[in-house]
Formats: sequence, structure tokens, C-alpha cells
Amino acid sequence: MTDLDLTVTRRQLLRRAAAGGTILTLPGLLAACGGSSSSKKATGSSGGGKKQLAKTLYFSNWPLYIDINEKTKTHPSLAQFTKQTGVKVNYVEDINDNDSYFGKIEGPLSQGQSIHKDIIVMTDESGLPQRMIQLGWLEKLDKSAIPNIKNLIPAQQHPSWDSNRDYSLPWQSGMTGIGYNPAKVGGEIDSIDQLFDDPKLKGKVTLLTEFGDAIGLTMLANGDDPAHVTKAGFDKAVKRIKAAVDSGQIRQFTGNDYAPLLAKGDVWACMAWSGDLVQLQADHPGLKWVQPKTGAMIWTDNMLIPKGGNVYTASTYMNFYYTPKIAAEVEDYVNYICPVAGADKVLRKTDPKVANNHLIFPTKKMLDNTHEIDPNAVNNKKYKQQFQALIGA
Amino acid sequence: MTTLAQALPRRRTLSLGWIRRYVLTVYAALALVYLFLPIAIVVLFSFNNPAGRFNYTWQGFTFKNWTHPFNYPGLQGALTVSIKIAVLSSLVATILGTLIALSLVRYSFRGRGLTNLLIFMPMTTPEVVMGASLLALFVGRGVVLGFLTIFIAHVMFNISYVVVTVKARLVGFDRHLEEAAMDLGANEWTTFQKVTLPLIAPGIMAAALLAFALSVDDFVITYFNAGSTTTFPLFVWGAARVALPPQINVIGTAIFVVAVGGMLANIIFQNTRARRAGLAKD
Amino acid sequence: MAFLHRHKWVTPYLLLLPGMAWLAIFFLVPMVYLGKTSLEQGLFPTFTFQWAWGNFHDAISLYQTQFVRSFEYAGLATVIALVGSYPLAYWIAFRGGRWKNLFLLLVIAPFFVTYLIRTLAWETILADDGVVANTMRHLHLLGTNGRLLATSFAVVAGITYNFLPFMVLPLYVSLEQIDGRLIEAANDLYASRWKAFLRVTLPLSLPGVFAGTLLTFIPAAGDFINAQLLGTPKQYMIGNVIQSQFLNVRDYPTAAALSFVLMGLILAAILAYARILGTEKLTG
Repeated sequence: MTDLDLTVTRRQLLRRAAAGGTILTLPGLLAACGGSSSSKKATGSSGGGKKQLAKTLYFSNWPLYIDINEKTKTHPSLAQFTKQTGVKVNYVEDINDNDSYFGKIEGPLSQGQSIHKDIIVMTDESGLPQRMIQLGWLEKLDKSAIPNIKNLIPAQQHPSWDSNRDYSLPWQSGMTGIGYNPAKVGGEIDSIDQLFDDPKLKGKVTLLTEFGDAIGLTMLANGDDPAHVTKAGFDKAVKRIKAAVDSGQIRQFTGNDYAPLLAKGDVWACMAWSGDLVQLQADHPGLKWVQPKTGAMIWTDNMLIPKGGNVYTASTYMNFYYTPKIAAEVEDYVNYICPVAGADKVLRKTDPKVANNHLIFPTKKMLDNTHEIDPNAVNNKKYKQQFQALIGA
Repeated sequence: MTTLAQALPRRRTLSLGWIRRYVLTVYAALALVYLFLPIAIVVLFSFNNPAGRFNYTWQGFTFKNWTHPFNYPGLQGALTVSIKIAVLSSLVATILGTLIALSLVRYSFRGRGLTNLLIFMPMTTPEVVMGASLLALFVGRGVVLGFLTIFIAHVMFNISYVVVTVKARLVGFDRHLEEAAMDLGANEWTTFQKVTLPLIAPGIMAAALLAFALSVDDFVITYFNAGSTTTFPLFVWGAARVALPPQINVIGTAIFVVAVGGMLANIIFQNTRARRAGLAKD
Repeated sequence: MAFLHRHKWVTPYLLLLPGMAWLAIFFLVPMVYLGKTSLEQGLFPTFTFQWAWGNFHDAISLYQTQFVRSFEYAGLATVIALVGSYPLAYWIAFRGGRWKNLFLLLVIAPFFVTYLIRTLAWETILADDGVVANTMRHLHLLGTNGRLLATSFAVVAGITYNFLPFMVLPLYVSLEQIDGRLIEAANDLYASRWKAFLRVTLPLSLPGVFAGTLLTFIPAAGDFINAQLLGTPKQYMIGNVIQSQFLNVRDYPTAAALSFVLMGLILAAILAYARILGTEKLTG
């Protein structure tokens, strides 16, 4: 009952805030004039209410992030879900950047409108899942419909921003470390320090535009803890990066466009995502990915239920995904880090190469050496401003 | 050189004329080569055979991308949407923009300066704020995001480009031709149809092509106003995070080949028709 | 039609109506909203309207470098595009014959392949270890440790390449209209080919030059993607700032203010440019 009360109060607050704050803006005026006729107010969000599956599950995800059968051009795991539950899946790959996607959905959500999605997938490192929880834009999961939640790997069970996994469940994770070309570098690399200080690498190093990765890895190299960002630690990291940018040591700040540069040899060492190297290694077996000895960052793309989504159906799907056999099917294609325990055992029989790849199924030792970024730091406007100024914008 | 000079017939224009003639053609050829240099790479890489998901370095030749160009669900749909929107929006934008250009060049009326200003403004606005502001309008109005909203956005930003392009044509237009037609008894509409329109047609055609190109390649504004609809650029940018299949190169090459082929066929068809008409006259 | 004859003043407004209505609804209204946003202050998602004119002052003072740089890059790209495109447009207009439309199509054909793929192709061509870079080093056009990518050269080259059709098409449109007999007449009057070009062709093509430079310069000034993919932080333009202020920092008022400052600067530049070229007659 307490849950119900809180939900209602938050919704009321939101509507009041939306009305007050946005009435002065034109869309607000227009909405007040009756534009919200098509908005679907939160249905089925009160826990314990209806336990009926919807006809269709509306699922937004990142492109090429689920298994594909290239011959039939379908997603086998989704077809299996439909067969098992009778729920059709409207699967759209329209998320390609956290901030951009958030910019797209914050309009309706801030006015209490539904975005007509049951599941969306966003990265914790962007700070946005935390933000959305704080803003009250997410529905709580129906854990009674997700008994398979017990399969969630221990390392992912208590993230700082959703310690009880009330609002989110991981879809895939990835590690950020150092990707490099041993032939060009002339040896091995295992520290971020080398990226910053080695004169041989001048102009051949790229860092990531992702706040969590760039600041996080640098802080670790400085001996600070990125899970608890202090002003001193932040400033130190910024100073270090700035010096390297000014001297020309850092060639560029990239999204995943470091991959072609690394493949072609224009970049010799960079901050890189583990999943990218798995793919690059298929064509360039010489390239390597390592965790810096001071620590790697780990980020997770989480399934979230936006306000207005059908909680029961979404939770049912999440439970389905957390079956080791299903997760293994998806993992076999996606090749990032699987959050479902037991998937590796399944894959050991069907695709041992993937099962034994430490970039896809990292060892406990590797996972212990990973860190998450403090989402409060990511959402801190001053830090964000400073970071953006650092990377040139 | 002496032999050549002797071989060429003397013309009234300076004897270096022929060099000039070919210099220009050679330059034009080089310019087109420059334009197509990256396209050549794109076409080449459409035959690439990478083992991984990225298509960054040459790994070997294969035809399989061409035999299975739509292996990625969503790719074909995205392409269809892009083409449909590009055709429709460039058509509408060209019509609306041409009308505006006509009024701006031919008439002086109150508000002309302001109209000119308003035409320039969309071009000066960064795409990210224009896209997001338009989205706010749609959201506030409860408009369902998708094909329609993308279409609206594309027409909106294309109008300015059409106006500026068609104006360049209209400004140099010789009004005497219209006057002559009217002196010969044609009314305004017939004059417009039979004299003005054919003469400014190249301008309109160029504007339409420009609008088409802008629409088919737009990313930022489309991203904000697409809802769950995916266009080809949206698909590519989205996919690029985890993969860049050679199929994308195949699609790009294929559209280009189809368009050029279609245009070529049209020209040859018209040439044959003209020749036949010429023969018929004799 | 009779009505129009009697009330001739209505015609221009009628012609304007559909297009301007479209722009009014789908551009002006959002712009008004953006204008309101530019005068707000606060932290996402609660911004309050405060007549915060300070936003504009801050925008200009904080990001002066990027503003100047944007205009420099856009200007440079426009000039190069103009000089490079003019002969091509001339050739298509005067020598293209029946194949004119085909060549125009060829000019915009690169747009069928998305921007990302085109740029990746350029990255392959201009790679540090590629043919082009190595040849330039050989010819001492590039230092031994020099590179072509992640430089101002790459950014300007990217902008120029991607806006080339915007220059070629308007130039063509204007050139194609020129009556060849005027040039013949000039020749008959003993003008050299070059003089004929300077005195007859070039002035008659000025509307196309004006249109082409505008269609290239204006969007180039607000561009961000070329700097992002082909440049280092030292090359970032005002477009990058606006992009990040809006999407990453989520400081909507600043992003809005920056957009209006950019708009104002560009419009002022257009006015000056039009005046220099000698307006009305040329620009309509």
C-alpha cells in the first residue's frame, strides 16, 4: 500500500510541476489547451493491480544488440518469447546515443505523458537511469514476475544508483580499458599513464568522449576512486587530460569512431570498449584489449520501464531474457558481457569460442578490477561543463 | 607543337582556344573524380569480406554482400522510408519554394525584406536546436511522431534552400520573353506555362535535386522528430556503435547506380524520341 | 483570375502563402519557444523564465574562440568550394548538352551514401599511412611526423567536400541561363576569351555566386560533425558547443542563446555581403 501511495503522490507532484513550469512555454500552453488527448497516463503501474499480459510489447533498444538470424531476418529469441507467451514484440532499434535519446523522450516524460514504450535500454554510465529515477520517470519492476532475477550475476546486483534493482535490470555490460596495436607500439601496454606520458605515442592516442570512461580511467590512474568523485580528484583528472591535449599527445576524443583508426593504424593506443575489440580482433588478431592495471571501468546497458509502460508484460519479458538458454542465444550474437549467470555454461556446449573469450565472460579477477563511475558526478552540471570544455566544446 | 598547329584549322578565336577547351573538360573530369573518390572506396568496400562486424580494412573480395543485401532486419525498411520521404518532401518543398521565389523576385510588396529574412533563418539555425524545438512543438500538440513529422520537418528546412536556388535563376530571367508572349496574345497563365516555366525549369530541377540530397542524408533533425521510425542515416549511425556491415555500402551504391541508370535511360529515351521526331520531319 | 487582375497586390501574398505558412508554423513557433528558453535560467529540468539577457552576454564571451573559428573555417571552405566548383558548373552548363541533368545527379550522388560512410572513406584515403599522406611527405608537403587527419586541414576539407553540391547547383542554375550569343558578341567585338568571361559571363553569374556562397557558408558555420570526426578539440566549432550544451550538459538556455547569437551573426554577415555585391538587382 505504501508503494501505491508514493506512486500516486509522485505522479501528482509531477503533473503539478509540469503544469506550473511548462505553462509559460508555448507547448505547455498548447498542451493545456487540450493537446494531451493522445497521452496515455500511467496504466498498470500500481503494483499488485492487473496481471494480464498486453498484446504487444514495445521494446526500444540499441541497433544490432540482439540476436539476428541472417537468413530469416528475424530475432529468434523474440520469436521464442512470442511463442511462449503469445505477446508480440514491437522491437525498434532507435536508441543510438544516451543523451540524444534522452533529449528525445524528456519532453513527453516531463509533462507526464507516456512515450508508448514498455522497455527502453540506457547506459548507467550516462547518469541518465539515475536521473530518470530521481525525476520519477520510471516504473518499478514487478519482481514477482521475475523469479529469474536470481540469475543476475553478483557483480551487478547492487549498483549504487538502484541498489535493490527496483527499476532496472542489465541487458548487456561492457568494459572500458586500453585497446592497442602491439606491433605499432613496439611492446605491451598496461597502464593509462603510458597513454598520457609515453612520447613514442604522441599523436597516436585517443580518449573517449564519454565522461564516465575518460574521467573514470584517469582518476583510477591517479589513484582516486571514480565511484566517489571528489572535487579534488576530478580537478586532478581534468588537469592531466588537459595537459595531454595541449601537448598534442591526445589526437582526438572519439565515440566508437576510434575503431577504424585503431584498425588502420592511425591510432596506436586508446581508451576502448571491450566489445569493439572482440569484433576488431576477428579481422585484426594482433590488436589487444587489456584492463589497465590501475583498474578498468565497467558500464551496463539497463532495461528500464518508462512511465506509462506495461509493467507486467515488460517484467515477464525480462524474466524470459534471464533464462540462461535465452541469454546465451543473444550473447552468442552480441558478444558484449552477459549479466545472466549460467549463460556461459550453455555456450560452452554450443559455441565454446565465445564461452571462453574473457572479453565476453570475464573472470572474477577481471570483474574485481572494474569500477563504476559515480552517477552523481556525471549528473553534476559543473563537472559536465568542465569536461565538455576540456574536449573542446 | 608545330605539326599540331598546322593540323588544326585556323579559327577566328585565339589559337590557344583548343587548349582552353580541353583544359576545362579535363578540370571538370578531375573535379568529378574528386567528388567520387570516397564513393569509389565505398563501392570497393561493398565487396569486402570482413570476418568481424566492422568494415574498416580490406579483408578480401566477395559477392555475398550483393547477393544478400538485406541481411540486417531494419535496413530495408529504413531505406524505403528514406527514399519515400526524400521524394515527397523534395517535391512539396520545391513547389512551395518556387512559389515564394517567384513572389520575391517578381513583386515588390510590403514585408518583402522580412520574408527574405525568414527564408534565411532556418539555414542559420543549428540542427540540434531546430530539431529539438520542433519536437517540443509536436509533443506539446500531442502529434504522433513518425513518418508525418519527419516529412514536415524535411519540407520545413528544404524550403529555404529551394528559394535561394530558384531565385538565382529568376533574377537573371529575361522578362522581355514574357512580354513578347503576352504581346502575342497569351494570357498570364499560358505565358507562365509555356514561357516562364520551361525557362526556369533547370533552376527548379537543381533545387529539387538539392532538396532530395538534403533529405536523404539528414540526421539530427530527423532523429528528434522520427519517433520510432527509422531512416537510412538513423540506421547507419545507430548501427555504427557495434557494427558497420558491408551491406550498407551495397545499399548506398545500389541507390546511386539505380538513380544514375534511371537518368541515363531517360536521356537516351529522349534522345531517341528527338531523333525520331527529327527524322519524321524530314 | 479577374479578381486578381483587379487586386494585383494580392498575387505576391497568395504565392507566398503556402510556403510561408509552413515556415511560420513549423519554424517560427518553435523559434519563439526557443527564444523564451534562451531567457530562462536554472538546472535541468526546471528552467524558469527570468529575462536572463545575461545568457547572451555569457554566450559571446565564453565561446568567442569557437565563434571566430567557425566563421574562419566556413569562410575558407566557401572560398575553396567557389573556386573549385565554378569551372565544373561552367562546364556542365555550357558543355553538358543533353547530359546536363545526369551530371547534376552525379554531383549530388555522394549524398546517397550517408555522411558517416563518406567520411569513413575519406579517413581511409587520408590515413596516416596511406598513399596520399606518404606521397605528400615524400614531396615535403607534409612534415615527417605530420598527418592529414585530426587537423584543421581535415576539418575544412570535410566541410568543403560535403557542401560542394550546394555551391555547384546554384552556380550551374545561373550559368546555364546565360545566352551564348552574348559571349559570341563579346568575341565579335574583339574581346579575348578571358575578357569576355570577366566582363560578360562572370557578372551574369553573380546571382548564382551569391546563392552558392550563402548555401555553403551558412550551414557550414553551424556545422559540428566534421570537427567532431575529423578534428581535435582545438578545431571544435560553435556547432559542437551548441550540441554539447544542449545534449550533454542539458543547459537549454545557453544552447538557445548561442543559437540566436550565431543566427544574428550570420544574418549580419549576409546583409554586409549583399550590400557589397550590390543587392536588389542580384538577389531579389
